Amino acid sequence: MTQSLTLENINAHYGTTQVLENLSLHIAEGELVSLLGSSGCGKTTTLRLVAGFLEPTSGSIKLGDRDLTRLPAHSRDIGLVFQTYALFPHLTVRDNVGFGLKQRNISAAERKKRVDTMIERVGLGELADRHPANLSGGQRQRVALARALVIDPPLLMFDEPLSNLDAKLRVDMRVEIRRLQQANGTTALYVTHDQEEAFSISDRVAIMKGGKIMQLDTPEVLYSQPANAFVADFVGFDNMIEMEAVAEAGDAVRAQMAGGVQIDLPKSQFTIPSKKFLFATRPEGLLVEPESTGSGIPAQLGMRTYIGRAYQYHCETAGGIVMANGPQATPLESGSAAVLVPQPEQCCLLPTES
Amino acid sequence: MKTRIHPVLIVLTVLTFLFLLGPLVVIIGSALSDTTYLTFPPQGLTLHWFANIFEISAFTRTMGTSFMLAVGGTTLSMLIGIPAAYALARYRIELPAFLGNVFVLPILIPEIVLGFSLMKSLASGIGLPITLALLVGHALIVLPYTVRVVGASLNSFDFSIEEAAVSLGCPRIKAFFTVVLPNIRAGIIAGFILAFITSLNDVSISIFLTGPGVSTLPIQLLAHMEQFFDPTIASVSVLLMGVTVAVMAVVERTLGLTFLTK
Amino acid sequence: MSNRLRAWLLATPAILLVFIFLGLPVLATFATTFGDPKGPFSTYAAFFNSRFRMTVLWRTMEVALITTIISVAIGFCTAWVVARMPGRIKSLLIIAAVFPLLTGVVVRSFAWLVILGKNGILNNFLLSIGAIAEPLSMLYTQGSVIVAMVYLFVPLMILTLVGVLEGIPQDMTDAAASLGATPAAAFRQVVLPMAVPGLIVGAVLVFTGSFTSYATPQLLGGERQMMMGTFLYQRAMVTFDWVGASTIAAVMVVVTLTTVLVMSKAARKLNPMAG
Repeated sequence: MTQSLTLENINAHYGTTQVLENLSLHIAEGELVSLLGSSGCGKTTTLRLVAGFLEPTSGSIKLGDRDLTRLPAHSRDIGLVFQTYALFPHLTVRDNVGFGLKQRNISAAERKKRVDTMIERVGLGELADRHPANLSGGQRQRVALARALVIDPPLLMFDEPLSNLDAKLRVDMRVEIRRLQQANGTTALYVTHDQEEAFSISDRVAIMKGGKIMQLDTPEVLYSQPANAFVADFVGFDNMIEMEAVAEAGDAVRAQMAGGVQIDLPKSQFTIPSKKFLFATRPEGLLVEPESTGSGIPAQLGMRTYIGRAYQYHCETAGGIVMANGPQATPLESGSAAVLVPQPEQCCLLPTES
Repeated sequence: MKTRIHPVLIVLTVLTFLFLLGPLVVIIGSALSDTTYLTFPPQGLTLHWFANIFEISAFTRTMGTSFMLAVGGTTLSMLIGIPAAYALARYRIELPAFLGNVFVLPILIPEIVLGFSLMKSLASGIGLPITLALLVGHALIVLPYTVRVVGASLNSFDFSIEEAAVSLGCPRIKAFFTVVLPNIRAGIIAGFILAFITSLNDVSISIFLTGPGVSTLPIQLLAHMEQFFDPTIASVSVLLMGVTVAVMAVVERTLGLTFLTK
Repeated sequence: MSNRLRAWLLATPAILLVFIFLGLPVLATFATTFGDPKGPFSTYAAFFNSRFRMTVLWRTMEVALITTIISVAIGFCTAWVVARMPGRIKSLLIIAAVFPLLTGVVVRSFAWLVILGKNGILNNFLLSIGAIAEPLSMLYTQGSVIVAMVYLFVPLMILTLVGVLEGIPQDMTDAAASLGATPAAAFRQVVLPMAVPGLIVGAVLVFTGSFTSYATPQLLGGERQMMMGTFLYQRAMVTFDWVGASTIAAVMVVVTLTTVLVMSKAARKLNPMAG
C-alpha cells in the first residue's frame, strides 16, 4: 500500500554545521522523485533523515498521515536500497531477501512463497542459495532491490543505487528499477549525482545545493527552463552572458552586453526576468556563422574541436569566452572573425544572482 | 549519529578499564612506598627503590643483556624478515601461498616448546654458545612481527613507483633503497619497535637459555621475586612501563595505535 | 634473473631461519619422544597413564577454557562499547588497552602477586573494612591463576574485537533497521554472525596463549597449580627428564595445532563469506 511522503521545514546539523536548511518536499503517491546534486549538497542526508538514521533539528517527516519524525528506523517500514547494497554477507540470497519478512514475524511458509516470487521477479531464481560474495555486481543489485521490495513498503528509497555498476548495466538496471516501481505503484525517493540517470527515471527531480532545493520540477522543465543560474549550469547551459535590457525594438527587446554589443531578443520567445539578467545558452544554442552572413554576437574564433555532430569553437566575445557550435559542412578557421546567432529554443534568460 | 549504548555495558566497560589499569597503578604506587615491603597505597614517598635498582648488579647487568638482545635479535630478524616480506608482497603470484604461513609458525608453536627445543638442540646438542642461542631464539619469535608489520606497509605500497624508478634507469637494488624503503619507513619503525618490546619482555624462550652469567631482565625479575619481596621489583616494573610508553609513542607516530586492532 | 628465482632468493634466509632453528629443533624434540627403549609410544603411554600428568593436562585445559570464556565475554562487551565511542574517547580507550598489552607478562603477573598476596592489597582492604577476620589465601589457587590470565588476555581480545566490529560496515546495521530489525534483532542476526570468525580467531589466541603460558602459572600458581608450561620447565630444568619434557612439549604442540586447525575450520564454516 503506497503512501505519499511529506517533508516540512526540515533543518539538520552535523555538530554545528547546518546541512539542510528549511527543506520541504512532497512526493505524491506512486511518484518517483530524485534528489540530484553533487556530494555535500544534502541529498544523502535527506534520505538518511527519512530512513531514520539521523534526526532533524527541526521539522517534520510524514508518510501518508503517519508522523515519522521521531520514530526509530526499524519501525518506519521503508524499503531502502543502499549504494553499497549492504547485503548481509553471511546470509544466502534467499535469506537476505527474507530478512525483512522474518522481522515482521511472517510464517515460514508465507515467507518462502513471497521470497521465491520476488526472487523470480528480479530474475535470480537460479541463484537463491548463493552468498552475496558469489554474485556479480548486477546480481547483487537485484538482490538489494528484491530485499527492499519484498516487504511491500509504502515508500522505496534508493541511495545512488547504480554508482557501483558499469555503464551498460547501469542503463539496464535503471529501466528495471523504474519498471518495478511503476508496476507496484510505490512512492519512491531516488538519490543520485548522475543527471542523465535522474532525468530518465524520475517523474520529478529536485536539484539540490548547500542543503537547499534549487528547483523541483519535471525533467523536461528543468532541462529547458531552469529557474536560476545554478540549475542552468547544472543542466548544461555552459555559457552565461550578463546582459541588460536597454530598449524596446518593435516586438523584440534590445539587450546590451559588455563592450556595447546589442542584440534583439524577440518577445515571443523570451521573457525578460529583470532589467539586468543572464543570457544562458548551451553550446548548440549559439550558432557560429561567418561574420558576413548575419547579425549576432561578434566573436573571434579560438580552438576548434570536432564533437561528432558539429564543430565546437572557443569563442572570444566582449562578454568573455563562450562555447558555440558550428555546422559540420562549413568548418571555420581559428583566428577568423564570426558571429554567434542565438537559437531561442536552446537559450534562456535568468535573473542575475543577488 | 545517534547510537544508544545500554548503561549496563557502559558500567561494564568502565570496570574493565579499571581492571586493566588498576594493577599497573598499584605497581607504580608501591614502587614509591617508603617501606621495605610492597604496599599500596604507598606509605610515605621515596625514590629510594629506583636508586636501589642500580645498586643491584644483577639488575644492571641483565638490563644491559636484555637491551642488547632485543636490539640484536630484532635487527637480525629485520635483516631477514624485510626481504621475505618484500618477496611475499611483490611476487605474490611467484611464491606458493603457504609460504606466508611459514613465517607465522613461531607464533603457532608454543614459545615454551621452542625455548626447550632450542636449549636441547642448540645449547646442549651442538654446543652453541648460550648468548648466540638466545639471539637466534629472540630473532625467531619476533620474525612474525617484522614480516607482518613490514608486510602490511608493503601491501599498501604501489610497486609501479619502483618500476618507474627502474624505467628511469635506476638499478633494482638502488631502487629498493631509494624508493621502496623510504616509503615503508613507518612500517619498518613500527615493526622494529613492536619486535623490540616483544623480545624485551620475553620469558618463555629466555627461561631455558639463561645460565651462569647470562640472564635477561624478566628472568632476573622472576628469580628476584622468589627470594625478595621489596619495592625494587616494583620500581624495575615501572621502568619497564616507561619503555612501553615510549614504544607506544613511536607506534602512534608511525602506523598509529589503531593499527594494532587490525 | 626471473622473478620467481628472485622471489625465492629473497625469502630464503627467512625460510632457513625458521627451518633450521624452529623446524629441526622442534622435530628433534618430537623424535626424542619416540626413542624410548621400551617402544616408540611408551612415553605417551606413560604420560596418559599417569594420574598426575593427566591432572596437569586437564587443569591446564580447564584454566585455558575458563580464561577464554571470561576474556571473550569481557572483551566483546568492552569492544562493543569502544567501537561505538566518538573518535577521541575511542583512541584513549585503545591506548588504555594497548598499554597493558605491551607491558611484559612478568610485570603484569607481579601486579597480581601484590594484590592477592597474604599481606596484599585485597586482604588488607577486606581486613580493614571488617569483611574478613583472617587474611585469605588467594595466591597459588586456580582462581588466582585465572584472574591473572584473564588480565593478560583481555586487552588482546578487546583490540581484536574492536577491529572486527569496526570492520562491520554501518550500512549493515542500517540495512537491518530499514528492514524492520530492532537493535537487538540486528545485533543477533547481523552483527554477531558477522563477528563470529573474528571472535573465534581471538578466542583461539587466548586459549593457546593461556594453555602454553609459563610466567603467570609459575608466579601465581606455583607448585600446587602446576600447568603444562611450568610442568615442562620443571621436567626439563629441575629433574632433567628430557624425554618426559619432550613428551609434554609434544602434547602441547598437538593440542595447540589441533585447536587452531579445528577452530579456523569452524570459523570458515560458520561464516563462509566473511573469512
